[in-house]
Amino acid sequence: MKLRTTLFSALFLGLYVTAHANPNPEPDHTKIPEWAVIKDLMFGDRVINPDDREVIRVYLNTRADDAATVPVMINGLIDQSPTDYIKTMYVIVDRNPIPTAGIFRFTPDSGRVKMETRLRFEQYSFVRAVAELNDGRLYMSQRWVKAAGGCSAPMGKNVAADSMGKMRFRVDDQVEYDKPMLIELQVRHPNESALASDLDPDHVPQFVRNVNVDYNGDPVMSGEVNYSLSDNPVFRFYFVPRAEGDLNVKVEDTHDSVYTQSMRVSEEDGVAAQ
Amino acid sequence: MLLDWKMKITQMPVYLQVNNTRSEDSASAELQIGTALPFPGGRSCDDYLFYKFASMLALVLALFPFVLPVKQVLAQSVAFAIEEIAPGNYVHYGSYADRSPQNFGDNANVGFIVGDTCVLVFDSGGSFAVGQALRNAIRSVTDKPVCYVVISHVHPDHFFGTAAFLAEEPEIIGHENLPLQLAARGRHYEMTLARDLGDASEGSRIVLPTKTLAAGTTMTVALGGRDVEIRAWAPAHTDNDLSVIDLSTSTLWLGDLLFVDHTPILDSNITGFLAVMKELRELHIRHYIPGHGRSDLPWPQVMDPQQRYFELILTETRQAIRDNVRLMDAVNQIGYSQAQNWVNFETYHRRNVTTAYTELEWE
Repeated sequence: MKLRTTLFSALFLGLYVTAHANPNPEPDHTKIPEWAVIKDLMFGDRVINPDDREVIRVYLNTRADDAATVPVMINGLIDQSPTDYIKTMYVIVDRNPIPTAGIFRFTPDSGRVKMETRLRFEQYSFVRAVAELNDGRLYMSQRWVKAAGGCSAPMGKNVAADSMGKMRFRVDDQVEYDKPMLIELQVRHPNESALASDLDPDHVPQFVRNVNVDYNGDPVMSGEVNYSLSDNPVFRFYFVPRAEGDLNVKVEDTHDSVYTQSMRVSEEDGVAAQ
Repeated sequence: MLLDWKMKITQMPVYLQVNNTRSEDSASAELQIGTALPFPGGRSCDDYLFYKFASMLALVLALFPFVLPVKQVLAQSVAFAIEEIAPGNYVHYGSYADRSPQNFGDNANVGFIVGDTCVLVFDSGGSFAVGQALRNAIRSVTDKPVCYVVISHVHPDHFFGTAAFLAEEPEIIGHENLPLQLAARGRHYEMTLARDLGDASEGSRIVLPTKTLAAGTTMTVALGGRDVEIRAWAPAHTDNDLSVIDLSTSTLWLGDLLFVDHTPILDSNITGFLAVMKELRELHIRHYIPGHGRSDLPWPQVMDPQQRYFELILTETRQAIRDNVRLMDAVNQIGYSQAQNWVNFETYHRRNVTTAYTELEWE
């Protein structure tokens, strides 16, 4: 009886451990039902070269510790030449309420294609980056992210009305003309999630929907975004200053508020926000 | 608070009493459900054989819901030890283990203060079952009605048991920011509680406060023979922290404004948290109850480790931002000299750094 009980327990223990050993293994990224729908809606029957990490690559920490603030870096790995360049980068979180977290457009003058930002994850999901080249070819790579609840979490850092839309630039390097320059743009904005329901049902969630960057009037980078981005959105990207000039940023949100900020760029004087 | 709970079976033995505790021979051991071991504390986790054995039993116990009606399991399994830490102040120490169907989300320290006419409950626990167990514990001490339930903040290990007290129609007291935070996070909290506890989450639900306190204000309630002061703080651990002082015994109930041994958690504002801690240190009190961990060390020195932890994060995060270290890398670099000092460091530390970084980058 004792032995049978032991064996019986052992059997069930085995089943239990097997069933619970890894409750959320990484699924096959080609067999995600949400992705099938998204792909169909966004790209129709166009061919997406899958898992091509020589063109575009997603970087993130294996562990996502704060589902409302998951840092993601997406790098284009081809040179932005006038004849062959990444025109559009789609950042997709399969299982977010709005799966298209961002559509970023670049030009040969972007120098290199890079977008570093922070995303919210409502459920465990793949984050995908699809690169569309100027000739229409599509390349994709993806990473599995185990983080959930990021869109339901309210903004912890209440943004005071007088700092709303305030922007900051961070620049690492000396200015050198004709050389790609990495720049970080920080925007003070709650980027309210539609899921972090307010007690007031008439409240339209206020989040950034557009960011446009130009240098002396020539487009550098633009993004269509939404509340899949964390509060106080951050964008880190490259641009190439060809000569002294102004980097101009315009941000629009869902309440039709428009915020602008410029930065003077020159080899002699470095950079200065204006 | 404990937001992220993968099964960590090796930390579950709080609910198991094993008569032959050091044996690995599971067939010869007897398992009694419903009796608590003394709180194991963070440091006994190195007692490997015992934990290995106890975790085997925990697995066996995990199968019980398949063979017993759920209600019966609830009644049997929520072991609930209380200690009278000061006259009329009773605390139940929660577990460090991730929440699970076996521990019913019994993670936070909860308790109550008994007056001549009324009982005040400080936090109701991580599930309806824990709330019920707390209510039973109160009834084992007094038949006075529960007039007040204080919710220390919005984290689910502290409030999901509130529904167990509704029959007594208590005033439910929370910070002025609590209703908005509950409205925003409630759906997610209910979903993940059901995911992690399964049937053991039954009856748990969001209960809104019936009375709220503005940050920086206090309110005194009379329990009969003793007055209790409830205080609402500026953003610190969360933006809706309350503390309670039983004035008759100088006993301070801190909620998650104080973590002992368990990794402190930052869900709002690091500079605010340090400022609140400075104020707390000035309080002349005789007894205290942290939100997690025990009340054994002297006050206010018991705050030192938490203060050092946050001061280190503050210093290193400011430096990382000055050095233009991106967040993605900063979370892997900052504060690791503290790793050995805390339980569940891997689970919570990087999120703390994230919260600090995203606050401090706007300084």
